Amino acid sequence: MSESPKNWIYRHTINARICHWIMVLSFVYLLYSGIMIFLHFPELYWGKVGFQGYPTIFKLEDWGISWEQSEELGDRRWGRNYHYLFAWVFVINGLVYLLWNAWQKKFYRKILPTREQLSPTNFKSEMVRHLKFKAAKGEQAKQYNVLQKLSYLIVLFALFPFMIISGFAQMPAFTAISPELIDLFGGRQTARTLHVVCSLLLVVFVIVHLLEMFIAGAVNQLRGMIIGKYEIIGDEK
Amino acid sequence: MKKKSRNKVAEQSKLTRRQLMTRAGALGGLLLTGCDTQFYKPPVVRDGLMGVADTLTMASQRMLMSNQQLVQEHDVSEITPNFPVWNQSDPDDEEYQRLKAGNYEEWRLPVSGLVNNPISLSLEELKRMPSRTQTTMHICEQGWSAIAQWTGAPLLSVLQAAGGIQPEAKYIMIDAYGGWYEGYDMFDVVHPQTILAYGMNGKDLPLGNGAPLRLRVERHCGYKQLKFIKSIQVVSSVEGFGRGTGGLNSDFGFHWYAGA
Repeated sequence: MSESPKNWIYRHTINARICHWIMVLSFVYLLYSGIMIFLHFPELYWGKVGFQGYPTIFKLEDWGISWEQSEELGDRRWGRNYHYLFAWVFVINGLVYLLWNAWQKKFYRKILPTREQLSPTNFKSEMVRHLKFKAAKGEQAKQYNVLQKLSYLIVLFALFPFMIISGFAQMPAFTAISPELIDLFGGRQTARTLHVVCSLLLVVFVIVHLLEMFIAGAVNQLRGMIIGKYEIIGDEK
Repeated sequence: MKKKSRNKVAEQSKLTRRQLMTRAGALGGLLLTGCDTQFYKPPVVRDGLMGVADTLTMASQRMLMSNQQLVQEHDVSEITPNFPVWNQSDPDDEEYQRLKAGNYEEWRLPVSGLVNNPISLSLEELKRMPSRTQTTMHICEQGWSAIAQWTGAPLLSVLQAAGGIQPEAKYIMIDAYGGWYEGYDMFDVVHPQTILAYGMNGKDLPLGNGAPLRLRVERHCGYKQLKFIKSIQVVSSVEGFGRGTGGLNSDFGFHWYAGA
């Protein structure tokens, strides 16, 4: 165990920190309002059309919550209002984050895996370390590990855009603006179903993200995301 | 090459705009310029951030629809056999029940307000007007969707039949039996697929779907597709109707603009 002089690094830039917390706020509201909307119509379908009585691919009723109970729990008026409000917060925040970072080389260094990181040996050892719930130490902790980088890339550049686009494909105005987009999904109801599936993937990401934060040290990680300072603990043996 | 294709697009949109102007001109007085910001926000913008979000949604979608492109029309084979009946299915209204009992023969559609020649049309008269048939998707704000074929008279032709609108006209308010009412701006009025439908899937409009006449204002959620139409008024302001937000749904706190 190495004692004393604390080894501080500057972990997150100001824009990453601001955008992260705005993202957290909008994600919480989007998820909650999305659930409120869903509870008012707790069935999922596949294809272009779907309604009560049409063959479903998911029914909340099968999980012991009747339509009436579910409707009581939901609030689609509140849900719709806040879903669109925070969709705008989410989109604008995301664009600010991207534009802020797109021209900065260090952003790509931070988020793109290096060739060494992508090597099978490193991949394997990271996988083992994660499965043992061990925190990264010393030099290792100074940058994102390969699994972290890949999951952030997937969330930022696959799941987030997918949420937005599958949201568009559900909007009546898009039957005029871009019916091709709705067709691309295979229909409006498929877009709705995939919107829900993708949101569940994001929830899984958030759970793992929080879990990793506790494994790596919640105080240190949170400090890093709030004021930017991050303590490097331990040395490579 | 690139320049050329861009010019072509510009030309096309100009043409569409000209057609649009002609359509609007036919109404008399109504001017629709390129990016008319009056169509970018609801008649009453809500307070705070909610109003900002409403306006962002409406403005961005209206910009993307500025060519008044048509919505996707589906093949008749895609028609949903058992189209859902949602909301009121048989208005609890004495006058409506009387008209229904008389097979809507005494039903009349008054078109009044800021029109040059107020009229009152019978169902037969509406059916004699040039009609439009479209197979489109109905999208309910709650989550469901279904496809049906609608036949009706374009709302624009009905307003033309009333002598066109006066220059200060901004919205049309439609009243329905059973207490529902809804407001629409001229952007939706001039759209070719905005029709007063008396037919559904080749037959008369069924009771549950709003007999004898309902509105099809494509590009909007189901709650804007008013059923059991009673009257049409052209107005310059939505004040004095219900709570003054421009429709019963927005009185209840839903978005006035239902394109999202």
